[in-house]
Order: sequence, then C-alpha cells, then structure tokens
Amino acid sequence: MSSSQLPLADDLYLAAHDSARGRCLLTPATQGLGLAAALLAELVLWRRLDLRDNHVVVIDDQPTPDPATAAVLGQLLREPHHRRIRDWISFLATGVATDLVERRLARSGLVQRKEKRGLLGTKVRFVPADTSSAGWPGTRIRISATRGELLDTSDLVLTGLVLATGLDQHVLDTLEAHEREHLFDQLRRRLPPMLQHLVGHAEAAVGDAVMARRA
Amino acid sequence: MPATTTPARPSQLSTALARDRLGVASVVFFVMSAAAPLTVVAGVVPTGLAVTGLTAISVAFLAVAVVLAIFAVGYVAMARHIANAGAFYAYVAQGLGRPFGVGAAWVALLAYNSFQLASYGGFGAIAAPLFADWFGVDLQWWTIALVAWALVAVLGVRDVAVNGKVLATLLVAEIILVAVFSVADLFAPTFEASAAPVDAGSLVGAGAGALLVMAVTGFVGFEQSVVFSEESRDPRRTVPRATYIAVALIAVLYAFSSWAMISAAGGQAVERAGTEGPELFFNLASDRLGGAALHLGHALFLTSLIAAMISFHNIIARYAFSLGREGVLPRAFGRTVPGTGAPKNGSLAQSALGLIAILVYAIMGWDPLVQLFFWGGTTGGIGVLLLITVTSVAVIGYFARNPSGEDAWHRLGAPAIGTVLLLVMTYLALTNIATLFGVEPGSEPTWVVPLAYGVLTVTGVGWALILRRTRPVVYEGIGLGARSAGTFSFSEATK
Repeated sequence: MSSSQLPLADDLYLAAHDSARGRCLLTPATQGLGLAAALLAELVLWRRLDLRDNHVVVIDDQPTPDPATAAVLGQLLREPHHRRIRDWISFLATGVATDLVERRLARSGLVQRKEKRGLLGTKVRFVPADTSSAGWPGTRIRISATRGELLDTSDLVLTGLVLATGLDQHVLDTLEAHEREHLFDQLRRRLPPMLQHLVGHAEAAVGDAVMARRA
Repeated sequence: MPATTTPARPSQLSTALARDRLGVASVVFFVMSAAAPLTVVAGVVPTGLAVTGLTAISVAFLAVAVVLAIFAVGYVAMARHIANAGAFYAYVAQGLGRPFGVGAAWVALLAYNSFQLASYGGFGAIAAPLFADWFGVDLQWWTIALVAWALVAVLGVRDVAVNGKVLATLLVAEIILVAVFSVADLFAPTFEASAAPVDAGSLVGAGAGALLVMAVTGFVGFEQSVVFSEESRDPRRTVPRATYIAVALIAVLYAFSSWAMISAAGGQAVERAGTEGPELFFNLASDRLGGAALHLGHALFLTSLIAAMISFHNIIARYAFSLGREGVLPRAFGRTVPGTGAPKNGSLAQSALGLIAILVYAIMGWDPLVQLFFWGGTTGGIGVLLLITVTSVAVIGYFARNPSGEDAWHRLGAPAIGTVLLLVMTYLALTNIATLFGVEPGSEPTWVVPLAYGVLTVTGVGWALILRRTRPVVYEGIGLGARSAGTFSFSEATK
C-alpha cells in the first residue's frame, strides 16, 4: 500500500494538506518556513551543502538533476555573501520554497493548478490532485512508528519538520506514548547532527514568526 | 567549492527580505493600537479624576513621556542585540541574570493580565448604559463583558490576520475623534483655561506618584515596538523612530485632551467626573458637536476597548508562548494552532482567567468601573512601571558586559539618567497607592498590590534557581524565547 517516497519537501507539502478536502493545515508563513528548511535539507542529502556554525557551506556546485533544488543551489551560488542558515530559511520562506515545491509537484501530477476568479483578479492556487496522496507522508510516518520500523534519513527530517511546524498535532496525534518515544529515539540517534541543527533552526524560525505576529 | 566571483548586482535575498520588513508607520500603528487612546482619554482620565481628585494629569503625561523617551534610548539599542526583544524579561534575564528574568516574566504576566481584566470591566460598565440608550435593553455589565470576553477568546485562538488593518482604521478614527472633541471642549460654555492640569509643582507634591502611575498606564503598549526589531527596514532607525513618534504623539494627544476636558469643566472637573464618569469626556464636547458625533464617539470608545483587549490578550498569549518554548512554563504553552499560528494554550489560559475574574466580580457585586477597570488598569500600570525600571537597570548591566556596537550615550548615559528618574517614579508610585486607588492609607489594596508583585518576583527567582539545578538546559535558554537551545517539541525530542 506504500506509495513511493517523494523528495522531502514534496512529502512535507503533502503531509501539510488534509486528505479530506486538500486544505493546507498550516499558515502560509509556517508552511513556507517548513518547505524552506526541507529544500535546504534536500541539498544536504544531495551532498551539495554542509551546515556549520549556523552557516551554510556549498561543498559542490554541480547542479542537481532536480530543478527545484537546482534553483536553490543556483541562488546560493549567486549570493555568496549571504550564508546564515536563518537568512536562507527566511528568504526561501517568502514564497520561493512553496512556489518551487508546488511546481515540482505539479510536474509530477500530484497537485493541480486551480484558478479562482475573484473581485480583485484571478487567484491561482494548487490543490492535491487526489485525496489519497494528500496526508499520505504523515500516515507513512505514523504507520512506521506503530510498527516500530526504522525511518530513512529523509523521513527522519520529515518527522523533525512535522514537529517543528506544529503539524504533529495533526499527524502524530494518535500515537501511543511508546510509539512516540520510538520515533523520538530515532531522531536522537539516527538523524545526522547537521540535519538536527537545520530542523532546530526551522523550529526557532516558526517560534519567532509567532512572536512577531507573522505566523 | 565556494561560489565564483559574481558581478555586482542587487541581492535577491536582501531585496526579498526587505520587502517583508516594516516601516516606521506600521510600527507606530501597532504600538498605538495597544495604547488605545480613547480608552485612556475618556476612560482612565475621568475615572482617575474622580477616584484621586488630582487634576495635574496633563503635566504628568508630558513628564512620563520624557522619562520613557530617555528610557527608550537604551531599550531600543539593546533590542538590536538580543533575541526575543519583545518581552521585558528577556532584557532582565540578559542584563541582571536569568533568575531575575523569570521574576520579571511573572510580574509582566500579572501586569498585562491586570490590563486585560480591567478592560473587561471597563467595557461592561461603559457599554451597559449605552446599550440601554441605543437598543433599550437593560443588561448587566457582566453580561456584556462576557460577550466581549467570548469575542476576544475566539479571536485569540483564530489570530485573525485582517485585524491589523481594521485596528489601524479604528485607531485613526479614535485619534481624530479625541482631537475634534478636545477642540470642541475649548468652545464649551463652561470653558475657562485651567492651570491645574499643567501645574508642574504637583509632580513633587502629595499624590505625585498616583498621577505618574495614571500617566504610565496611558503609555502602556509603547514597549511593544521592539517586537519588530529584527523585522524592521533599518534596525538602527525604524524602531527607535517609531518609538519616539508614538510616545510623542500619545503625550501631546493625552496632555492636550485632558487639559481641554478639565478646563471645559470650569473648575468642576473632579465633581463632574465623580457623577458623570467616562461620560464627562463626551458630555463636555457634545453640545457643540451634536448627537451624531456623540454616538460615533461612544461607538469608537467601545471599539477602542475591544482593540485594547485584543492587544493585551495577544501580548499575554505570546509571553506564555515564549516561556513555554523555553520550558520555563509547561511546554504546552509553546504550542500554536497549526492552521492559524495563534499561541493556543497561552490564549486559552488567559481566557480562562478572564472568565473567572468576570464571574467573581459579578458574584461579589464589586464595582466594574472603579474596582476592576481603574484598579486593574493602575495595578497593571504599577507593574509596567516596575518592569520598565528594572529593564532600565538591565540595559546598563547588559552593555557593561557587551559594550560593542553602541556609543556611550546609548549604553550608559541615557540608561543611567532614565534609571534614576524611573527609580524616583517607582518610589513615588509605591508610596502613593492609597491616593491612586482612592482608599484609606494602610487598607488592603495599598499592600496587596506591592506584595503580589514582590511575591511573584521572589517565586520567579526561586523557580529559576530550581531550574538551574534540575534542568540546566532550560535554565540556559531563559530569555531567549523561541531561540532557546532547549526549545520545544523537536529539540525536546532530540535532547
């Protein structure tokens, strides 16, 4: 029954949409911060980026085969003066990350463009193409936690970002205490420190947005 | 391989981030909607006249504005250097040590909650006669207060984004209305220019502390400008300018309108405030302006109170959120509603407290206007005065250890002058509580309020010391808010 794993940010996007109506469960700002961190994490998994002392370091400037991460990497290379992780999360969260992820999902047919005519022009938004794909990545984590299975690195980051964005109130709500502990234990032991760090930054950014009334 | 050299071109990153940043005007609007001008001018000032019998309120507003502006020099400078700049306790934690930081956090929660509860009492007491007049319905004050409470409670967890623009519009309307009504006061038949409101001698006489606390109460909200330190277009200019502009605007508006009101009452200000209460402000101007202006004024008075409630509710919920993220309060307070970004449990807890307070006042039959609105507001005013004073000391402490990036005036000069003035104000305030509350010296409120703040400070310090022993990671993060190392679900999970 397992549908295949998508790129991390795509998985987070789908996890953040409810399966019944395809509605986004997060505020646009929080979703943007989560997706921003997810794209940076993808670049770490592609071995293009390292994270050291709150800064990003480009370790390989070869474009990635995937256009979304290639675009972020290109931007990083064009802006060598900006290296703070938090600046990049903030920048990508201004709509860049959401846009890249929505286009990537649209290319693979998992979301559809919907136009809605309003009083002030046409609004374009994306909705999951079918209700079974929305929410699925969250279900996958939940099932794996209830079975006591081990997650791969990408799904561990996804779990971290689910916690950081507050999505766990939807996604992990039904877990028993020991299942939750099994999941947290994996995050502690098996998520590489660099990526733990990145998710920590994402969580702090979400909190700062709440304090500054931007969330 | 790091990037190759790039031709000089505007950084997309900087441009995109700058686009989202706030300018001076947005920050001023935000600050002033918490200050709720009409609530102060029509609510606090006449009630204060009636309770204390003191009339030198205009000069008190001006004096407090000067002190706050001096305080703000170091305050906004420190805001540029620290995380979680929106909360007083962050300054105290980093300037005077984490234990006092937690003490300050508890004091702030009580002070802001006092304002919040006060505004429920004010709303109920002021709306009840208006509803009787407009709709012919005779409602108890607490029924109306409960409706307002429900509105705030719902908005608190929904964190409606549109309220920014609505509040800004209402605020402009309020300011215009206060100005127009005050000018109309000048043409009232009983008007005689009074020297009493601007009698500087009163600031050293008996009751000076009461006047100063009332004035401080009017400015509360100005300290929120620093929430946007990291979000402003120019960190060195936007927030300082917005703060000074807001303080100056508030001071001029309040000083002029209270002078005009007292003068228009023709030497009868205290007596008329006693019988007419908040209606004094409207009655004095209404015979020149007519019924329509009066109704508009009343309607805006109510929206002003609601705006104040929403602002304070949001401040309190975010204090609790920040403390929850740090682990100083239970972690549950660090949760938000995912779909709205509202600090869920902080908001719910505040609403629970509000409900209890309204019900207790209703059951005990206590007076909502004097004993809830005015006492609550001034209790909050005393708390904020204490916080500002301690924060002023903390600014000196912080810059003594981290002097880089600021000149001597910002680091030491202004904060030192501000601290001395604030200490004098605090002393006067604490020795004048009987006058402020209009009660006998030595009666309950005169010692309950300072004792409450004292107990909260001590328990806060104690709690911090317990955390240092039992949960050092949490202790290290005190004052850092969302950025504390021990922060929240994910980080908690991976500890």
